[in-house]
Amino acid sequence: MRIAALALALLIPGIAGATDVTPLVDDHILPGYRDLAADSAALAQVAQADCQPDSPDLRAAFGAAFDDWVRVSHLLFGPSETEDRAFALAFWPDPRGSTPKALATLIRDEDPAAQDLADFAEVSIAARGFYALEFLLYDPQLAVPGPYHCALVQVISADIAALTADILQGWEDGYADLMRGAGSNDTYRSTIEAQRQLFTALSTGLEFTAQTRLGRPLGTFDKPRPQRAEARRSARSLRHVILSLEATRDLAAGLSEHDPALDAAFATALDRARSLDDPDFAGAADPIKRFRIEVLQQDVNAIRQILAEDLGPRLGIAAGFNSLDGD
Amino acid sequence: MKSLLLATSALTLALSTAALADEAVTKAAVLDTYADIAEAKYADSLATAQALQVAVNALIEAPSAETLDAAKTAWLASRVPYQQTEVYRFGNAIVDDWEGKVNAWPLDEGLIDYVDASYGGPSDENAFAVLNVIANPSLTLSGETVDATEITPELLESTLHEADGVEANVATGYHAIEFLLWGQDLHGTEHGAGERPWTDYAAGDDCTGGNCDRRAAYLKAATDLLVSDLEWMAAQWAEGGEARATVTADEDAGIQAILTGMGSLSYGEQAGERMRLGLMLNDPEEEHDCFSDNTHNSHFYDGQGIQNVYLGSYTRIDGTEVSGASLSDLVAAQDADLDAEMKAKLDTTMGALGAMKEAADGGFSYDQMLARGSEEGEALIMGGVNGLVDQTKTIERIVAALGVTPIEFEGSDSLDNPDAVFH
Repeated sequence: MRIAALALALLIPGIAGATDVTPLVDDHILPGYRDLAADSAALAQVAQADCQPDSPDLRAAFGAAFDDWVRVSHLLFGPSETEDRAFALAFWPDPRGSTPKALATLIRDEDPAAQDLADFAEVSIAARGFYALEFLLYDPQLAVPGPYHCALVQVISADIAALTADILQGWEDGYADLMRGAGSNDTYRSTIEAQRQLFTALSTGLEFTAQTRLGRPLGTFDKPRPQRAEARRSARSLRHVILSLEATRDLAAGLSEHDPALDAAFATALDRARSLDDPDFAGAADPIKRFRIEVLQQDVNAIRQILAEDLGPRLGIAAGFNSLDGD
Repeated sequence: MKSLLLATSALTLALSTAALADEAVTKAAVLDTYADIAEAKYADSLATAQALQVAVNALIEAPSAETLDAAKTAWLASRVPYQQTEVYRFGNAIVDDWEGKVNAWPLDEGLIDYVDASYGGPSDENAFAVLNVIANPSLTLSGETVDATEITPELLESTLHEADGVEANVATGYHAIEFLLWGQDLHGTEHGAGERPWTDYAAGDDCTGGNCDRRAAYLKAATDLLVSDLEWMAAQWAEGGEARATVTADEDAGIQAILTGMGSLSYGEQAGERMRLGLMLNDPEEEHDCFSDNTHNSHFYDGQGIQNVYLGSYTRIDGTEVSGASLSDLVAAQDADLDAEMKAKLDTTMGALGAMKEAADGGFSYDQMLARGSEEGEALIMGGVNGLVDQTKTIERIVAALGVTPIEFEGSDSLDNPDAVFH
């Protein structure tokens, strides 16, 4: 009967027909995770050689690996969900200030977990991953050189390298084949299910950019919250919006078979973002500059609208459930 | 062409099989059952909240260890039906618009009452994290002086709740009451809940923690408000109520609402926000019922709510059953395998949540499970998470199979508020 349900779905008018997601796996997903694993391994090496928070080499290596992460941060399924790897790589937003608290506690106690990678994998995710490392490199209170600080920088970098290597291995040793072979396995019982997974990832990534990356620092007009901007200490907030838009544009092009209207909507948003000149969204508190961030947010919402009202129905799929569904 | 022929014959098969199945199962009947179960669950939530109100009044009238314990017992009982209603969130706007008043979480409890020094002070995120309304009859909120001499439901609801636009400023609902009954849980990831002494409500010189009369007034106001909020929601699901009318108005949208509630609660809220995040932060503050250590029950009954909505059968607090045509019947009529898969996955989840509940009831409390390096705790919690994640996948398949996919788009200013579009 499963076949019958699928056949019914295929017969709904307006469906272009489910296309194979293999090109997206090979050209969008795998290269992203390969870059992330390679740059994360490099970060771990640089940190071993130089753990000073103001080291240009270390900061550059951190920036390169973090860029790679943002480019795949919409792909929160499969090997990145397994063993909670993505959660450990990227704990943000942090409404209760858990990251600085967890790091300060480790430093105060000189917790021996920093001396051993396996032990460190047991600590709170608030003290792991890219956002914790950002505090250790850029936060005035926590970027204070010292032997324990150095061990912590090194173990977090090594942990990032291990997690990203595991994600890549998960893709290369099986998960990519599950998506390529959609229709002949139980994870993806049809190409439509594989497409729905990618469509959900696309929608969720854009929702996160609009509501969280942009929405959190915007707050409300009366109560702007620029201190909530993502990775503001390293002035990467706007950069993350741009990187994520570029990555989701690529995925959208593949899923939509290069729909010009969709691509134009991405171009509008990206042009606006690139001309914003407000790297940490401090402008959220300035009435004039704030307006430009709000317009960028509307640009991103315009893309989401095309996905939900045009591309989704055309493919015969709606986004599945995502991690932002809760409250 | 071959695939089209295959599809056509499969379509014929599907239609004939559907025709052979029980014709009594209609979407309208399924929605009636869904609304009937909501009505029963909110009525049970109201009845147990009224019992809590009686117990709270008795505590305030005659404070003692016994009356405080009785109020705690009543609070725990009130959570059983309420958590089973949570599956009505996310799909029903009327529930979402209201829910923050009764079950908001997590909270910065220093807004309400005294806290331990380890709690800290005002934070970047919340300037009112230690406002302490109970100790302060006059407050300054966003530059304005607020007269809090009388602690009334109105003050809590309109002035303090989400003060300064911060969601952690939870002044009302189950968790505010929980804090006033149990106090902070200072045991971290060790066994043990909050240990508020009954003398926090004692009169005269016996009063501990200061301002016992104001604490009693706060507890009474919050409990009365909970009762009136539940009264309102129970009425919305009764015959002629707005929630029932809305969900039964459009059959496909109604079925979509059921599935949206099941999927959103399973995945983003329960598996993600409440269970996995708390586990990975090793943080007992992230527990849903953190003061009372009742989190295992909250998770368990949330899961049960998802299951009983799908099966169209709810056992009320008095033991009677409300049941009728179910979503399960509707799915089975179209795809019996898919229905069997959904039922099996719901069973697996409830088995895992049941194991977690049993361990906690047996003394291995939920905050111990969250402790860093607790492999046993991690396995118990992740068993529930994995079950919830896996069942979400089947819920998505049902959405597709029933063809009730939504095309409306939520959360965009440009749609919700056309005036917000500038370009």
